[in-house]
Amino acid sequence: MRIVAVDPDSCVACRNCEYACAFRQSGDFDRRASHIRVNFYAEERACVPLTCMHCDDAWCLEVCPAAAISRDPETGAVQIDAARCAGCKMCLLACPFGNVHFDRTQGVSGKCDLCGGDPMCVRSCISGALRYIEADEAVDLRREVLDASLRRLLHLDKGEK
Amino acid sequence: MPPETEIQQTLCRMCDDRCGIDVHLEDGRIVDILGNKAHLWNRGRLCVKARAAVDMVYHADRILTPLKRTDEGWQQIPLEQALDEIAARLAAIREERGARSIGVWKGEAIGFGQQENIARRFAHAVGSPNYLSNDSMCYAARYFGFKLVAGAWPVPDLENAGCIVLWGANPPYAHPNMTQYITAARRKGATLVVVDPRLSAIARRADIHAAVRPGTDGALAWGLIHQLVTAGACDADFVEHHTVGFAKVVDYAKAFTAEAVQAETGVPAAAVRAIARAMQSAAPRVAAYVGNGLEHHENGVNNIRAIAMLDGLLGALDRAGGTFFKAELPLRDLTLYEDVPLKHLGPLGAGRFPVLYDLRRECHTMTAIEAILQDDPYPLRALIVTGANPASTNPNSTRVLEALKSLDLLVVRDLFMSETAAVADYVLPAASFLERTELHAHAKHQIVSVTRKVVSWPGVQGEYEFWHDLAARLGIGDYFPWEDETALNRWLLEPTGLTLEELEAHPEGVEYSPSLPGRWKDTGFDTPSGKVEFASQYLKDLGYDELPVYQSPAYRREPDAAYPFVLITGARKLLYLHSRFRNIPRFLTAIPGPEVEMHPDDSEALGVADGDTVRVTSRIGSLELPVKVMAPNEILPGSLQITHGWRDANVNLITHDDRFDPISGFPLMKSVEVRVERM
Amino acid sequence: MQVTIVGNSAAALSALEGFRERDQTASVTLVSAEPVPAYSRVLLPYYLRRRLSYEGLFIRQMSDYARLRVATEFGARVERVDPATCELELADGRRLGFDRLLLATGSSPARPPIPGLDGPGIHTLWTLDDATRLDSLFREGARVMVLGSGFVALQAAWAARQRGLQVIVVELLDQILPRVLDAAAARILHEQLLAYGVDVRTGTRTDGVETDHDGKVRVSTDGTGAFAVDAVIVATGARPNDGLLPECLEPGKPGIPVADTMETSVDGVFAAGDVTRGPTSAGGPREIHALWPTAVEQGRVAGANLAEAGVAYAGSLSMNVTEMFGLTVASLGRFVEDDGDDVFESRDLAGIRYLKLVSRAGVPVGAISLGDPEGAALLGRLRPFVRQRRLLPDLPTFLEGRDLGQRLVGRGAIKEKTPCA
Repeated sequence: MRIVAVDPDSCVACRNCEYACAFRQSGDFDRRASHIRVNFYAEERACVPLTCMHCDDAWCLEVCPAAAISRDPETGAVQIDAARCAGCKMCLLACPFGNVHFDRTQGVSGKCDLCGGDPMCVRSCISGALRYIEADEAVDLRREVLDASLRRLLHLDKGEK
Repeated sequence: MPPETEIQQTLCRMCDDRCGIDVHLEDGRIVDILGNKAHLWNRGRLCVKARAAVDMVYHADRILTPLKRTDEGWQQIPLEQALDEIAARLAAIREERGARSIGVWKGEAIGFGQQENIARRFAHAVGSPNYLSNDSMCYAARYFGFKLVAGAWPVPDLENAGCIVLWGANPPYAHPNMTQYITAARRKGATLVVVDPRLSAIARRADIHAAVRPGTDGALAWGLIHQLVTAGACDADFVEHHTVGFAKVVDYAKAFTAEAVQAETGVPAAAVRAIARAMQSAAPRVAAYVGNGLEHHENGVNNIRAIAMLDGLLGALDRAGGTFFKAELPLRDLTLYEDVPLKHLGPLGAGRFPVLYDLRRECHTMTAIEAILQDDPYPLRALIVTGANPASTNPNSTRVLEALKSLDLLVVRDLFMSETAAVADYVLPAASFLERTELHAHAKHQIVSVTRKVVSWPGVQGEYEFWHDLAARLGIGDYFPWEDETALNRWLLEPTGLTLEELEAHPEGVEYSPSLPGRWKDTGFDTPSGKVEFASQYLKDLGYDELPVYQSPAYRREPDAAYPFVLITGARKLLYLHSRFRNIPRFLTAIPGPEVEMHPDDSEALGVADGDTVRVTSRIGSLELPVKVMAPNEILPGSLQITHGWRDANVNLITHDDRFDPISGFPLMKSVEVRVERM
Repeated sequence: MQVTIVGNSAAALSALEGFRERDQTASVTLVSAEPVPAYSRVLLPYYLRRRLSYEGLFIRQMSDYARLRVATEFGARVERVDPATCELELADGRRLGFDRLLLATGSSPARPPIPGLDGPGIHTLWTLDDATRLDSLFREGARVMVLGSGFVALQAAWAARQRGLQVIVVELLDQILPRVLDAAAARILHEQLLAYGVDVRTGTRTDGVETDHDGKVRVSTDGTGAFAVDAVIVATGARPNDGLLPECLEPGKPGIPVADTMETSVDGVFAAGDVTRGPTSAGGPREIHALWPTAVEQGRVAGANLAEAGVAYAGSLSMNVTEMFGLTVASLGRFVEDDGDDVFESRDLAGIRYLKLVSRAGVPVGAISLGDPEGAALLGRLRPFVRQRRLLPDLPTFLEGRDLGQRLVGRGAIKEKTPCA
C-alpha cells in the first residue's frame, strides 16, 4: 500500500496541496475544506504538512458508531461514507493527529481518501515534500533527509553567533 | 450516454514555467488539467494555477467578439470589419506621422520566443523600430548582469549543486516547479542561502536567510567577494586565464568588510562570513539564481553583475553543480533586424538606455509613455497591445492611462477587459494558450515541444493569424507568407533537423541538443574580450563605470523624513501572475485582495492592526489598502511590501516612472520611499 | 473449538472481528436477545432527530456475519450460564455449549426509585424498539418530560425539540450533564438549552408520576410542583446486564470485574463492554465505563485473547462527544480539578466557546470542549497524552498543533502499527 509521505524539510508551506484538496472537496479554494493542513510557524520557519496516515489499526474506523468508515481494499485508504455518517464526531475525538475534519455545510466528518489512488495534494506539491510512495520507500526518504541534514551541518554554521 | 473522454498533452502557459500538462476533455470540453508525469521539467507535479486554466478558458467574462469604442459605449463588430478599420487607421497614421509613430507592445501573458518575435517582425514590417514589451521591467536587467560579466544568462544546475544561492527570487510562487529541484538538492546535502528582505516561501527552507535591506544586495555580493578573495577561495587558474579585471576587483572589494556589509545591508557580519564559507566549501558547485527582486532598483544591474562575478571567482560558470550555459534551439529567426534594421529611426529609449536596445533590441516603455504624452523624442500615436496590461503593470499608472487615452489608436488583444483594454479603441478577442499551437524550448533540459490547439472559439484568432491578417491589409503581407500557425511552426523548425511530427508525437519534449557544459573552453565567453569580464570596457565606452561599483540606494543615501518607509512592490503570490487571474473566483476565495505587508513594530508604532486600512504615499501618488501584520522575521522593520496587479489599490499608482537603473532603464519599484498614514 | 459471544453491539462486534483476524478456523456463535442484526445504540437519538434513517442505524448486514463465518442466534435470550458444563441456557430451553465465552451483554437503563415509573407512558431510549416507539409519539406540539440530563437524556430532549415538541428536562442534581461536563461548561449548555426553548429544571426531585385514564402523565416534583405531559423519557443512567453468571461477580458491586486480558474470574469466560468493571488508564480501582469507545477497545482485547493472543488492555479512558443544541460537546478523562492540578481555561479559542484542560505535574488528565467541532479534534490530539501519561509540551505549542511536527519527525513519517489507540 502506498502512503502520502511527508517531508517537512522540503515543505515551503505554499499551500498548493491545501487548495487542490479543498477544490476536490468543495469546488472552491477555501483552505478550511482541505483534508491536508499545512501548519506554518514563522518564527521557527517550520512548515508541517499534516494528513491522514491511514493507520493500520485505524481507531477512527473502529470506533465509528455508524460504521461509516471503511478501508478501501485497493488503495488502503481509510475513508468516510458521507451517506452513512451521522455527524457524531467520534472520529474527530479518535484521531490522535487531528486529521479528521468536520464539514459544517454537510454536517458530516471528512478526511483524506487518497483521491482513489491519485492524491491531488501530491500532484500539486511543487516542492516535493509530499510523495505518494510505498511505506518502505518512505523509510529511505527519511534516511535521505536525515543524512542530508547531517552533511549540511558539517559545513555550515548559520552565522547566528 | 457517457461523455467521450480524451486526454491531450501540451504545455501550461499560466506562467512561463511551461510545465507539461494532461488536458482532460469530455465531449471536447476541458474538464481538468493535471501534470504530465513524463515531462522532464515538472515530472507530473503542477501548481493550482495550471488547473484553473479551465476557469480562465470558459470564464463568463471572456471577450469573444471584437469590440469597438463608440460614443454609445462598446459596440460588437465583425472581425473582418475590425481588422479593416484598424488597418485603415494604422495606414493613415503611418502616412501622416510616419511609421515610427506606430508601436507594438507585447506582454508577458502571450509569452516569449515565437510570439515575441512575430510581434517584432510586424513592427519592422510596418516600418517602425518600436517594439515594446514587459522586458523593459523584467528579466532584461538580470540578463545584462550576467551577459556583461559571463557572456550569457546561465541556468543554475540546481540538482547537482552543493550550495544554492537565491537572490531576490521566490521560486515556489514565481517558478513553482523549480522548487522541487532545490529541495532535491537539499536532500542530497546542499545548503540553501536565500537573500531577500522578506521571509519568502523559499526562505522558509533556507539554511541561511540573509534579510538584506531592499536594494543593498550589491553590498552583500561585494562582501562575499571580499571574503572569498581573502580566504583564497577563488579558482586561481580560472581567474588568471579566463577573466579580466581581477586586480581591480580585489582592490574595490577591500572596503566591503563583513562589518561594513552589516552596516549597509543589515545582514549580520557572522552571517556574511557563514555564507562565504558555505559557498567556499561547495565550490565550484555553487548555483546562483537571481530573481526579479534585484531588478527594480536604481542600482540593479551592477548589483547583479557583482553576483555574476561570484560565479566567475568560484569557477562555477558552466560547471556541473554551478551554472550552465545552455545551447539555444537553432530556430529560424522571425525578426527583421537584419533585413529591416530601422535603427536610424531612433528606437524609443535606445539613446537613453543604449544597453537595453543594443543587447536586447528592447525599446523602453517608460520612454514610450513620454513620447505619447510629450511627442518627445518624437510622437508615438498608435499602439497595438497584445497580452499586455501596462495600465496596471507599468509604473505611475495614472500617467500611463493618460497616455493610452491620448493615443490616436489603441488596439488591445486580450481574453478579458483589462485596465488597458478598457481604454482601447478596439478590443480584439485573443486565444488562450490552449487555443493556439506554438514552439517552446526549455533551456533547462534543452528540449523543444509544440503546444496543441486543444479547443477553439469561432472568430477568435491566434497571434499569427492576427498579425498575418492585419499585415495583408497594410500591404506588408509578403512578410507573413505562412498559411497558418502550423506552417509557421514547420518553417521555424527547419534548421533544427526536427520535424513537427516528431514534436507532436512527443508532448513531453524532444531533446534538441545534448547538454555539453564547458563549451566556453573552445569558444571563449560571449563577451567582447572572450573572457569573464569583472571590468567591462564595453560599459566604460558607453560612459558607465567599468566595475559594478556599488551605489547605496537613494532611501539610504539621502533619507527623506517625509517618506520614512521603503516600499517593495511586486512580491509574487501563489495564485496570481502580474495582473492576471484576478477574475478567477476560487483564487479570490483564497487571496481576496491587496494588502500592505508590515513589520509588527511598525504597525504598533502606527497604531494599526491587521486588516486596518492605511494610506501609503510616495512622491508619485498614494493609495489606500489594508495592513497585513507579518511575523517579526517575515519582513524588515521599516520595509513594506505590496503586490502589484490589483485593480483596486493598484500599487503602480505610487511607483516611479522617473527614476531608472542607468544601464537597464528599469524603473524604481522595489525601494520606493513612502509614508504611511492610519485612516 | 467453540467460541460463543453473547451480545451484538460494540464490544461483541469488535471481539468477533478481533478474534477472526487471528483465528479463521474455530466455530463461533453469536447470541443476541434482539431479533435483528447489529444496530448503533448510540445513534438512536440521531434517528429520532431524523438525522439518520432507520436503515442507517444498522451497522452490520447478515452478509457481514456470513463473511466472518459466525453462526447467529438472534432473538435468543440467554437465561443463565452454567460454568460447570460450559453451557448457555436459552429462554427457549435450548442449551448451547462453549469452550470459550464472551459476555458482552451491555447495560440497561436504570430506573430511579420513583413511584409510578413502571406505568404506561413511561419510556426509555435504549433499544431499537424504544426508538421506534418514541418516533411514533414525537408529534409536533406534544409535551414530554425527560428525566435525567445525561447524554442520552439531552439528546432525546434535542431530538424532541427539533421535532417541535415541548420539552421539560428534570435533573435531580444542580447541573446538567454531571458526568460529562464541569459546572462552568454545564452552565453554558444550560443557557443553550433555554435558548432552544427547553424547560430545564435542575436541582429538582421528581416525587412521583401517575398516568391518567386519558393517557396524560402527571408528574409531581418538589419545588416547581406538578405538571402533565404526554410522555416521560427516563434517562438517568445505566446498569450492567451482569446477571447471567453470578459466580464472576464481587458481592455488592455491579459489573463483571475483568482483568486487563478481559478475563473474568471464571475460567474460559471473558467479558467486555458496558457489562464490565474494568481497568482504567489512570490506574486505581476498576470502573464501569459504559461508553461506546471503551466497548470497542475492550472487545478488541477480548477478541484477541479469545484467540490466545495475550494482549493486555491499557485501561479505559472516558471520552464523550456529541452534537447537541448546535454545540459540539466533548470531554475526556478527569476534567474536574483536584487540589494541585493545573487548569487551563479559555472562553473563546477559534470558535471553541469553552475549553478546559486539566493537568497534573505537566501531564494532562482530562479536558472539556464546547462549541466548534475542531474542539473535538483538539481533544483527540490530547488523548494520547492523557492515556499514556505523557508530558504535554507547552500549551501554546500544543494548541497550535506544533507538537505534531515533532511527533511526525519522531515517527519518521512512516506508517506504523497501531499508532492510534
